[in-house]
Amino acid sequence: MPTVGQPIPHDSANGHVTGEALYIEDIRPVVDELYVEFVGSPVACGKIVSVDLAQAKKEPGVVGVYTYQDVLGHNLFGPVICDEPFLAESRVDYVGQPIVVIAGKTLEAARRGCRAVKIEVAPEPAVLDIDTAIEKQQFIGPERRIDRGDFDSAWKNAGHKIEGTFESGGQEQFYLESQSAIAYPGEQGQIVVESSTQNPTETQAVLAEVLGLKMHEVVVTCKRMGGGFGGKETQGVIPALMAALVSQKTGRAARIVYTKDDDMKVTGKRHAYKTWYQAGFDSEGRLTAVKMDYYSNGGASADLSTGIMERTLLHADNAYYLPNVKTCGRICKTNLPPNTAFRGFGGPQAVAVIENIMQEVAAHLGKDAFDVRRVNCYGDAPRNTTPYEQEVTSNLLPEIFDKLAETSDYKARLAEVEDFNLTSRTQLRGIAMTAVKFGISFTTKFLNQGNALVSVYTDGTVQVSTGATEMGQGVNTKIRQIVADEFGIGVEKVLVMTTSTEKSINTSPTAASAGTDLNGAAAVHACAQIKQRMADYAAKLFNENNPTHKPSADDIRFEGGHVFDRRSPDHSIPFGEFTNQARMARVDLGARGFYKTPGIDFDREAGRGNPFFYFTTGCAVSEVLIDRFTGDLCVERVDMLMDIGRMINPGIDHGQVIGGFIQGMGWATAECLVYNDAGELLSYSPTTYKIPNITDVPETFNLAFMDNGANAQNIRSSKAVGEPPLLLGLSAWAAAKHAVSCAAGKQSASMKLPATNEEILMCLTRIENTRREADKRQTSTR
Amino acid sequence: MLQSAKPTRDHLLVYLNGERHEVAGTDAFLTLSDYLRLRLVQVGTKIVCSEGDCGACSVLVGRVEEAPGGGKLVYRAIDSCIAFMYQLDRAHVISVEGLKRNGLLSPVQDAMVKCHGSQCGFCTPGFVMAMTGLLEGDGASTGGGDRRGEALTCDELRAGLTGNLCRCTGYIQIMDAGCSVDPGKTARLSELYPDGPMVEIFDSHAQDDVVVTDDGRTVAVPASLDAALTFKTKHPGCTVVAGATDIGVQRNKGKIDPREVLCLANVGELKGVGHEGGTLTTGAGERWSGVERYVEDLVPQFHDILTVFGSPQIRNMGTIGGNIANASPIADSVPFLFVMGAELEIAGPTGTRRVDINNFYQGYKKFDLRPDELIARVHIPLPTEAQTLKLYKVSRRRDLDISTFTAAVLMELDDAGETIKGVRIAYGGAAPVVLRLPKTEAFLAGKVFGEDVLHEAGHLARTEVTPISDVRGSADFRLQLAENILLRFYHDCAQKMTV
Ligand SMILES: Cc1cc2nc3c(=O)[nH]c(=O)nc-3n(C[C@H](O)[C@H](O)[C@H](O)COP(=O)(O)OP(=O)(O)OC[C@H]3O[C@@H](n4cnc5c(N)ncnc54)[C@H](O)[C@@H]3O)c2cc1C
Ligand code: FES
Ligand code: FES
Repeated sequence: MPTVGQPIPHDSANGHVTGEALYIEDIRPVVDELYVEFVGSPVACGKIVSVDLAQAKKEPGVVGVYTYQDVLGHNLFGPVICDEPFLAESRVDYVGQPIVVIAGKTLEAARRGCRAVKIEVAPEPAVLDIDTAIEKQQFIGPERRIDRGDFDSAWKNAGHKIEGTFESGGQEQFYLESQSAIAYPGEQGQIVVESSTQNPTETQAVLAEVLGLKMHEVVVTCKRMGGGFGGKETQGVIPALMAALVSQKTGRAARIVYTKDDDMKVTGKRHAYKTWYQAGFDSEGRLTAVKMDYYSNGGASADLSTGIMERTLLHADNAYYLPNVKTCGRICKTNLPPNTAFRGFGGPQAVAVIENIMQEVAAHLGKDAFDVRRVNCYGDAPRNTTPYEQEVTSNLLPEIFDKLAETSDYKARLAEVEDFNLTSRTQLRGIAMTAVKFGISFTTKFLNQGNALVSVYTDGTVQVSTGATEMGQGVNTKIRQIVADEFGIGVEKVLVMTTSTEKSINTSPTAASAGTDLNGAAAVHACAQIKQRMADYAAKLFNENNPTHKPSADDIRFEGGHVFDRRSPDHSIPFGEFTNQARMARVDLGARGFYKTPGIDFDREAGRGNPFFYFTTGCAVSEVLIDRFTGDLCVERVDMLMDIGRMINPGIDHGQVIGGFIQGMGWATAECLVYNDAGELLSYSPTTYKIPNITDVPETFNLAFMDNGANAQNIRSSKAVGEPPLLLGLSAWAAAKHAVSCAAGKQSASMKLPATNEEILMCLTRIENTRREADKRQTSTR
Repeated sequence: MLQSAKPTRDHLLVYLNGERHEVAGTDAFLTLSDYLRLRLVQVGTKIVCSEGDCGACSVLVGRVEEAPGGGKLVYRAIDSCIAFMYQLDRAHVISVEGLKRNGLLSPVQDAMVKCHGSQCGFCTPGFVMAMTGLLEGDGASTGGGDRRGEALTCDELRAGLTGNLCRCTGYIQIMDAGCSVDPGKTARLSELYPDGPMVEIFDSHAQDDVVVTDDGRTVAVPASLDAALTFKTKHPGCTVVAGATDIGVQRNKGKIDPREVLCLANVGELKGVGHEGGTLTTGAGERWSGVERYVEDLVPQFHDILTVFGSPQIRNMGTIGGNIANASPIADSVPFLFVMGAELEIAGPTGTRRVDINNFYQGYKKFDLRPDELIARVHIPLPTEAQTLKLYKVSRRRDLDISTFTAAVLMELDDAGETIKGVRIAYGGAAPVVLRLPKTEAFLAGKVFGEDVLHEAGHLARTEVTPISDVRGSADFRLQLAENILLRFYHDCAQKMTV
């Protein structure tokens, strides 16, 4: 029986539940392994006056103390723009920016060494927020735009208009396993690094560059991560560099494991955004003119900010047709750690803006926001092209909207909610449906490739190596299923091996939800080559044994653990025997497969093209309950309907959808990064940074999927599922906004994201005060 | 007493997955997670935060509890990152390595595999341990008791797993796993690790005073209050440790590194909870889970606030005495103790004295306790029939969060149920210490209970507090809460009155 479509357990599940699955920190130290720590900048911005290492070098147990001057290659790196120092040189640009690396025989020794380092910095005024950066015109990279139609005249002629600003906060990835790496010295200056990274190739390239090696001298591997969510796409590089530098200098193994506090303080997060928007619309709420100027808080260097802003512009529309639209994106350079990838990659920030506009338009017209969304939803031509003029094909969005409205009983519940709000003095309810249309593919074209190595052994077992890294999303399990089905064998016969730059070369990060799409397809390509050779041989073999049929490779089948000729299935050979015979006959049982996504192309200067292979879409309805006196919010019920094609593993995909939603809900309603004026993060551990807890999960969570097998161009007709559901967490924010606007007498009420209890209570208080003043004025004029 | 004829034991006696460990020297000062991961290289127990806030490091700890037919080991989940080895004398620790039987997954492990309860897997051992603890327990979120073969419900899992964070799954498949475990097929921990022999050994050492030294460091784990006080008198600068849910965090964050420790974990006189003649009395060393269980029917409002105190893991270690002596302005129990006029029984070398908790605190983290004294018990007058008690906690997240603001209101109306005879109000998180609001209380006394009056009282309350802006919320937010909570109190009472 094919395993694709079956909810088989995660390939590491047994290891997870027994604690036997090893993460970097769990690997047994080798005999003389060193522990690595670092000293970071005490201030957010300034010139380094002096770095005194004398005392640190004297600390017992300290083996090495290094600064940028010890770097043999280049000290500067960056995935897109080369602007990030590995170790600070003459200036520092965020609190905690690494300056000194210390190696100790023990962790305590390394930490003592750190405490003994004296760094003097002449502080300069720090720029921490978007407004100040705009005022000072401090930006990273060029301004990007995507325009279509004629916004200006459409705006002028619009029957109804709204404009305003919208702010969304940053978000910490909060992968449970902090950044970590171990470096082992190889022969002749070579180096092997085990890293908790979503991006072994990039890590390899940067290691080579910084250490002054060539890429073939560096091997980077990743067995698994204890979560990544984008936070280990680029940011695993610095810890890997620290360990590797120590190893290069000492010839000994070196390990670094960030504490959770350090990790949260010094690594980048989801970008906070501030957007100036204008929207013109007709009396039905149909958008005729939309303009959005997005500003993101990029932090001290570029990291992936440009790509993230690009995805923001490409998701300005979300599920809605925008005939006349002007969008512009700028990245603010500030004195925070370089912000980076986080599940959704700029998409959520864009979608928050347009979903906010939907709520505002509805409040302005006194309509229900669902109806406004519905009239704007992508439909048939001509209302089926994005602002960058990609056609939205096999579009199920209208159907999803309508079906979910029905199954969630939206209209009846809306009426109940609004009635409730008229009567309850103590609580408020809110309900909202939001949508997602998430573009699948890296917007940087060259990254849309994958390769895989498939090795079949003589006992009929198979090893697969791809560039995909396993961070919990189940990519290895899916690839295992795909490969098992290719050979018609059980999944237990297939192992997906540690990701290594030795086996899979020049790979893309495991990101953009495309891990299975790219690497699964590459694995299929490798299997196809092996199967072709096997079939050629089998055709001859079966013909020798049973000369009644002409030898025909096309008729050879690999099914049920056997190899046979379709025309005489009784003469089958067990796969494990067949492979041995094939080897004897000198058939090559290994192959490397390659895949590149077809048909994608995007001109970022012009803002035109087909950046995406396809879209993953869906809708969610959230209902919330709010305490009028404290602002406390509870998401009581969620109904979700998504089109994710044919699922390769429903167990895993359910997990991706639920986990993504809850993570998005955390961003939209709860998680709060708090900095002080000096640019220090105050919410740097789970004591003060609150991700959703089990009791925050809605009591009722109805999850359903569209039956869509139409996505035949992708692997096994599946669709990528990693990021899209996160954006549906915005429905909880929109529901809170609905509740608050009910309190305002169904007027619009501006509210930031996240809708924390504080944000909600302060909004409600403003509304209440305005109401009181209006009452007062009325009584005094009477 | 430590210097008495009775010899002191110089090592800790700890069982780990059924195996006896005599722990001495440096090891006695390690956290349990370090002992497991670094000393024994049992790395299934994961570390994320080292501060009790994620549960990745959860293990089960069994201690002897009285039961019909002799003592038995009762297991509860704790966070091993903030538990020190010296707190575990005469305890049996089960870590994730100890769950498999004959190489087979335990039913909880099996369910987590089948239901896709793990994604990245880093939180998983912690969940497995916490869930195993719940299956042992009798339905309380903190485990304990005796479950007898019922399956876990979703509500139990929600209440019982608030101490475990997962960033990947969104929890639903974890709950599915928990609900799917067939308790009938689940071996009790006492079947995996027979109680009898361990209980016998622990009991035979029940009177031991333990002192472990290492390189200038000393920890005493006395078995009696007398011995504890003697040590305290001799070492007035020592750090007192009860559950270590505050101390452990401070140690891990590098804020303290105590050289002399007095661990109260085995002092029997500091344990126990009971009530008599309208007064609830609890030992200062009673764990929150014990208090929570005891007050469930007796003072439901207090019980409710305890269900959102930390997490089950925290309540299984943290004590009421620790909460009081930690003197945090956002200690969740203190506003309640203030309005009830709780009395602290303080034990010193010359006997005991009693202090009204309202007079105990003298400033930020300063209080009326001499270096040779310990808090021994807490006497809490229970609310009378005529009194209405409401407790409030506002935090960024409902569970496993430190309060942004807390409040306790105790009100008594006249016989007609209209006029306020008296009211006591205490706020936490609104000033450097927990505050009573004398002006607001005075204003309300004698007023007719009504919305406008409470509204006005709210305005007055605002003027009595001096909150700051910090990571848990702005001063404005807290001021607004200080005002609003009285209105909320009005509505909570009014709702109840009309019911
Ligand atoms: C993750 C986490 C969540 C938490 N959540 C909450 C919460 O929701 N609400 C809340 O109020 N608190 C919370 N806390 C704080 C803590 O759990 C409580 O304050 C707890 O009651 C402390 O008790 P303990 O026995 O662990 O104290 P310990 O850490 O052992 O000691 C705390 C202080 O009290 C002193 N002390 C202890 N016992 C005595 C005694 N008998 N006589 C004199 N001094 C004594 C100690 O010397 C120390 O100074 C949380 C802590 C953590 C780590
Ligand atoms: S590691 Fe987070 S609670 Fe122990
Ligand atoms: S499975 Fe990754 S944190 Fe729970």
